Amino acid sequence: MKTPLFQPAAPTPTATVAEFVATFAVILGAIVGLLLFDTALARVDLTERKAYAAREFGLGERLTAQGRTEQGIEHLRTASTLDGDNSAYGVALAQAILADGRPGEAEQILLPLLERNETDGATTLAMARVLAKEGKLDEAKSYYHRAIYGLWPVGAEKNRTAARFELIDLLAHANARQELLAELLPIQADSTSDVAQRKKIARLFVVAGSPARAVLTFRELLRRDPRDADSYVGLAEAALSLGDFATARIDLLAAQKLMPEDSVSLRGRIALTDSVISLDPTQSGLSLPEQVRRSRNLVQMTLTSMRTCLGVQAPQVAAALDSASLLLVAGRAAGQAQSVEQNLSLAEQLWGLRRSRCAPEAQDGALTLVHNRITK
Amino acid sequence: MPAIRVSALPARLVRMVEDLRRKEDRLALLLSLVIGALVGLVVVAFILLTGRLTALMYPAGGSGWRRIAVPTIGSLVTGYLLFRYFPLARGSGIPQTRAALFIHDGRISIRSVVGKFVCCSISLATGIPLGREGPSVYIGSGLASVIARRLGLSRAQVRSLIPVGGAAALAAAFNTPIAAVLFSLEEIVGDLHAPVLGSVVLASAASWMVLHLVLGDNPLFHVPSYHLVSAAELGVYVVLGIVGGLTSVTFVKLLLWLRARFAKMPRASLWIQPVAGGLTVGILGYFAPQVLGVGYDQVERVLNGDVILKVVVVLAILKIIATSVAYASGNAGGIFGPSLFIGAMVGAAVGSVAHMAFPGSTAGPGAYALVGMGAAFAGIIRTPFTSVVMIFEVTRDYTIIVPLMISNLIAFYISQKLQKEPIYDALARQDGLHLPTRTSRTQGSVPLVSSASRDAPESLTPEMKISEAAERVKDNVLESWPVADELGLVGMVRTRHIVHAEEQGKLEMTIERLMQIARRSDGDKSVDLPHVHNDQPLSRALARMRENGHKVLPVVSRANARIMLGIVTYADILKAFGVESADDLDYKDHPDL
Repeated sequence: MKTPLFQPAAPTPTATVAEFVATFAVILGAIVGLLLFDTALARVDLTERKAYAAREFGLGERLTAQGRTEQGIEHLRTASTLDGDNSAYGVALAQAILADGRPGEAEQILLPLLERNETDGATTLAMARVLAKEGKLDEAKSYYHRAIYGLWPVGAEKNRTAARFELIDLLAHANARQELLAELLPIQADSTSDVAQRKKIARLFVVAGSPARAVLTFRELLRRDPRDADSYVGLAEAALSLGDFATARIDLLAAQKLMPEDSVSLRGRIALTDSVISLDPTQSGLSLPEQVRRSRNLVQMTLTSMRTCLGVQAPQVAAALDSASLLLVAGRAAGQAQSVEQNLSLAEQLWGLRRSRCAPEAQDGALTLVHNRITK
Repeated sequence: MPAIRVSALPARLVRMVEDLRRKEDRLALLLSLVIGALVGLVVVAFILLTGRLTALMYPAGGSGWRRIAVPTIGSLVTGYLLFRYFPLARGSGIPQTRAALFIHDGRISIRSVVGKFVCCSISLATGIPLGREGPSVYIGSGLASVIARRLGLSRAQVRSLIPVGGAAALAAAFNTPIAAVLFSLEEIVGDLHAPVLGSVVLASAASWMVLHLVLGDNPLFHVPSYHLVSAAELGVYVVLGIVGGLTSVTFVKLLLWLRARFAKMPRASLWIQPVAGGLTVGILGYFAPQVLGVGYDQVERVLNGDVILKVVVVLAILKIIATSVAYASGNAGGIFGPSLFIGAMVGAAVGSVAHMAFPGSTAGPGAYALVGMGAAFAGIIRTPFTSVVMIFEVTRDYTIIVPLMISNLIAFYISQKLQKEPIYDALARQDGLHLPTRTSRTQGSVPLVSSASRDAPESLTPEMKISEAAERVKDNVLESWPVADELGLVGMVRTRHIVHAEEQGKLEMTIERLMQIARRSDGDKSVDLPHVHNDQPLSRALARMRENGHKVLPVVSRANARIMLGIVTYADILKAFGVESADDLDYKDHPDL
């Protein structure tokens, strides 16, 4: 038998120049043909994918608006996966996920979108909301600013203003007065025609600790429309903040006259103003004994507020309360003028301590206003 | 191809072409670019056509029964096509590409390329959960091979273009040009310092540019940027590496076991076997549609944090089963994509548990899914370097690299320990291909068997009588003789055994019987099929001689161990090492010899 199955040698490779050229020509022809074919196919594919993504997006938005967030998220996710280039889908998905209470996941969706386009207004605004929800206020503020100065392909001005107001609300909520004022000033001039917006800004000036600016705005509005009860209420709030309780009462009464149907809430405010006026020991025209009485009353009320909020268990609080009681007793023996000063000083110290430990409470409204005035 | 006469070509063009053909390095560069572009376009067409076909097969709102029917019918169609027309288009394509490179002188037929394209398109579009990357590598390498042969290049040049086409294909299929280069060198060539590096890089870049030109700058997955939340998190990544490694081993062992079972079925059932895979996939897909197809959409969702623990665990298990059965039953498609899917699900599961337990000090499950992909890839495919770079390219996120490296290495180590043979080597071996291992491919300049082998003598046959055999061997110094039947080599028989039988007067005994007696009487394993390959080092031949006591070994083909290419003798090996006689050696080290 022959030696089995030797592997056959491959034929020696040969090709003439003509075959070589012809092969190259065929390859180049194939490249051109395939390029055209692929491009056409890719275009068809892209168009269909985008159309499908748009349908999914619309459905997702509708479901989310109807409160069916989980189903909406599914469709928005499909849209975002199908058309990753459209950042609107990603932003909508992130917002829906945020609304579903999953800020961490929403952040993860927004990060690559921001990497692709860090100046996109809608994306930065969505990220600001996510960060605000996560309690990362400094980062949120930074993203709000990026949204305000970012690029908005449609409705830039409206979107920027909306973003600024969101930031303003955040700052007001966080009681960041200086920053709030800094945000309010640039838009004060921009909103001359929009009365509602001007009122909102004026009220925020009060929150930002600049009630004088609010007064100017409300007066201006009243010059234009003297029957605008809302402006009178705003003016009263500004006056209360300024410590001008009498003026506030007058403004509230004027508003009540113009808006009798809303008298319940106004009556409450008027009652508050009356409480403040009757409590305030620094009010002009009071006799010295009345000043002494009111100042003692103020200390007493502040102590009560402290007891409510802090409790007497803490040793340092107990010590402060003891010394306050002693001073009250001692004040009876001291000269009346000296007693007023001592009482006011004590009340201020106690109030300062209380503020450092406890959040303001609704029932302390009058006390807060009086103390604000004394501090000023 | 239209015939062009040389005389019809301008003389300058002829000179240019001849010049180009003489300067091989220039031709290699030009071909790398051309092959890169062409392969890129073909792979893009493959991806797009598969996508369009999938949309046709599974329209939105289709009924659940479709998910059973489509993969079953699809596998029936591909099963017939593979059996009847394209037998080489089964499975992944990576072992076949390596076989072409190491065994067939870089030869891949255009028929196999077309078959791979058609069968894989049908297979993937009908929801068979296999990957497109392996087949793309085969298609790319095949195109490179066809072009090189049409251009009349030398065998060495044809061989050198195989990894070039493979890298170009992977760069387009996976949108990872650097990983494509590494994979091509690490897995296909088995040598990161291969001289084809420049060509591979060029082709990969050309292909990637074509991909971008047609499909735009879209990474395979849009992934949020993940980072290490705390140093303690590295511990969780270690756990992920362990789980990833164990999962990889489970997957590989199950796939190989199932494939061996299918291989034992009658050959006549070959065309229907893929239906077993299609039906299994269909039934699983009926309950969990995410199992169908390569599943990159689901992977992207998980990478973006859309993770429900129970779902990802179930999907990982179902995908392992579906992929193993689909691949083992002979469907066309690769394991590259499924590895990533399984890894992502396993990673997400580990990440979910970790995040539930330590929410403050661990990242979300998406980060773990990402690292899990790399770990499973390193564990299953066994190319750790490629997997790190690939995940980096997929995500374009550098911060995940350290945890990725840790998990990958652990998964790789566990996989190596528990499953000795890498999956592509094992698959090739199941097909009867003896591909060189990665170690043997990086031997460097050690002398090879080919340098000492000689033509084989005329073989003895199993039916030959002792008298005839003794006559044949009496004037020859060979100490062992090959025995072969009509199908090829069956074993070796020692000359002294023949002589001894003759002296005993057993002249009518056959060689086959003699071999049986030798095997039974003294447990002589040498009568089985000891062999070496031409590309193995001579030291390996010496070691093998020591193992079985033969001083003569047949040199056989890697494509079929029964095809004898020659023999190598102990004396020839000594001569190759510069030792004139065996007497010059210290026999203490080689008592058997």
